[in-house]
Amino acid sequence: MSDLYSWIRDHLQALAASQVLPQPFEYEFVINALLCALLIGPLLGVLGSMVMIKRMAFFSQSVGNAAMTGVAIGVLVGESYTSPYLSMFGFCLLFALTLKYTQHRTTLPNDTLIGVFLSISLAVGASLLLFVSAKINTHVMESVLFGSILAVDHTDMNVLLGVTLVCALIGLPLYNAMLLASLNPSLAHARGVPVRVVEYLFVVLVTLVTVACLKIIGAVLVEALLLIPAAAARNISRSLPVLVTLAALIATFSCVVGILVPMQFYIPVPTGGAIVIVAALVFVLTTIIRASTARFRGASL
Amino acid sequence: MSKQNSLRGPALVFANVSLKLGGSHVLDAVNFQVEAGALHCLVGPNGGGKTSLVRALLGQMPHTGSIRIDGEPSHPVGYVPQLADFDRNVPMTVYDVMALLGQRRPAFLGSSRAARAANAEALQRTGVAGMGHKAFGSLSGGQRQRVLLAQAITPLPRLLILDEPTAGIDKPGLQLVENLVQELHASGVTIVWINHDLEQVRRIAQSVTVLNQRVLFHGAAQKLPTSWSDADE
Repeated sequence: MSDLYSWIRDHLQALAASQVLPQPFEYEFVINALLCALLIGPLLGVLGSMVMIKRMAFFSQSVGNAAMTGVAIGVLVGESYTSPYLSMFGFCLLFALTLKYTQHRTTLPNDTLIGVFLSISLAVGASLLLFVSAKINTHVMESVLFGSILAVDHTDMNVLLGVTLVCALIGLPLYNAMLLASLNPSLAHARGVPVRVVEYLFVVLVTLVTVACLKIIGAVLVEALLLIPAAAARNISRSLPVLVTLAALIATFSCVVGILVPMQFYIPVPTGGAIVIVAALVFVLTTIIRASTARFRGASL
Repeated sequence: MSKQNSLRGPALVFANVSLKLGGSHVLDAVNFQVEAGALHCLVGPNGGGKTSLVRALLGQMPHTGSIRIDGEPSHPVGYVPQLADFDRNVPMTVYDVMALLGQRRPAFLGSSRAARAANAEALQRTGVAGMGHKAFGSLSGGQRQRVLLAQAITPLPRLLILDEPTAGIDKPGLQLVENLVQELHASGVTIVWINHDLEQVRRIAQSVTVLNQRVLFHGAAQKLPTSWSDADE
């Protein structure tokens, strides 16, 4: 894959040198980040719209926080400081599946249970990170929390590409089943959907995407990029195809603009923050459109 | 229309079915059978366990005892859930709902031409033709109920389970649903209908079970008692 990345990079850098593309395209790390953005945009759009419909926003937030604990465990067991993927994937999957398992075996409301797990993941993550912080550069911590395009390398791009392929191979054939299982489990059962299985699979997909996006967006804000594009699209959508397409476009637009604008105008903000601010501006815009357009006011029924 | 055995829906056998929720009995040793191809109604007071029994039949509620569906177990089951169980806030058109329920292709990619034709025909049969592009959540209760009925008959099932499908439907709609159910029954589909309209039950059902945690009455619809207390005696 490295040859392919280099080939794309060389061409874009040549276009930037001849001033066809803006100046940030001269930098290798910007192109790496943009390639990631083009992968995670559609991925977050499709998955995010489902997270919103399934009312699992805070579930993905708690998984993002669990990633901090994963990073700390990675450092403790001697994984690479910059890419402790084994620990992050391992711990986050364990965390998410435990949360889902507990949901099925308690009468507590979902928001209460997720709140409990969110607090636990934040407390454990913060404590362990402080414990290991003496061992690592504070910039590594910052990139984990808020994302950094400077930190994106070929390993991260390969992980993201792998996760995108896994999501496409599992998520697309089971999309209807996953959505139906949360809209109406009885109806899903009648249609032969193994409801529990697809619910666990969805949790796995959200976890994989959350961890794979950490380098770009950061643990604190990854949930926002799953949710805000979908919410923005929801404001001006009346059908599922429009919702998913708009969510994917808004997520991709937010990632690309959030990466390029701070570089172009030398604004010292973390990538995750910039991306989420762009997405939030799009959300405000669609809210205004919705409030001022009769066609969309009825779409929230 | 004569019913051929090969086209008949399955028979259902409920044997000693018990179900507890939160420590209290919802169903207590329920025993009865539904004949193959029958139009069978489940009646009884609210909280009597009718919906729980149907969910147990669908494999969604853990229970003791056994529920057997004889014949063609792999054939699709048509199911119309209670309207309150369906989230209105999801931005989906009627065609999106039909696509979500009736095809493998992700619903956000739209439907194939063949699926669109089948969906349009089902919507026509349930009296909501022309509403395919409307937001599901913007429809009236009766219209949404008819859409849910349309999805249940696409493709045509051999077993159709209806959980109060006429709630919120106006008089012409009631007649349309009744006619459709009778048409499906005539073609051999086994139908289990949770119904509160006793007059309608007596008029169209073959058999009926009165359920209030346990079976209070099971038999021909014409012999249905006038009240639950009569059934209990």
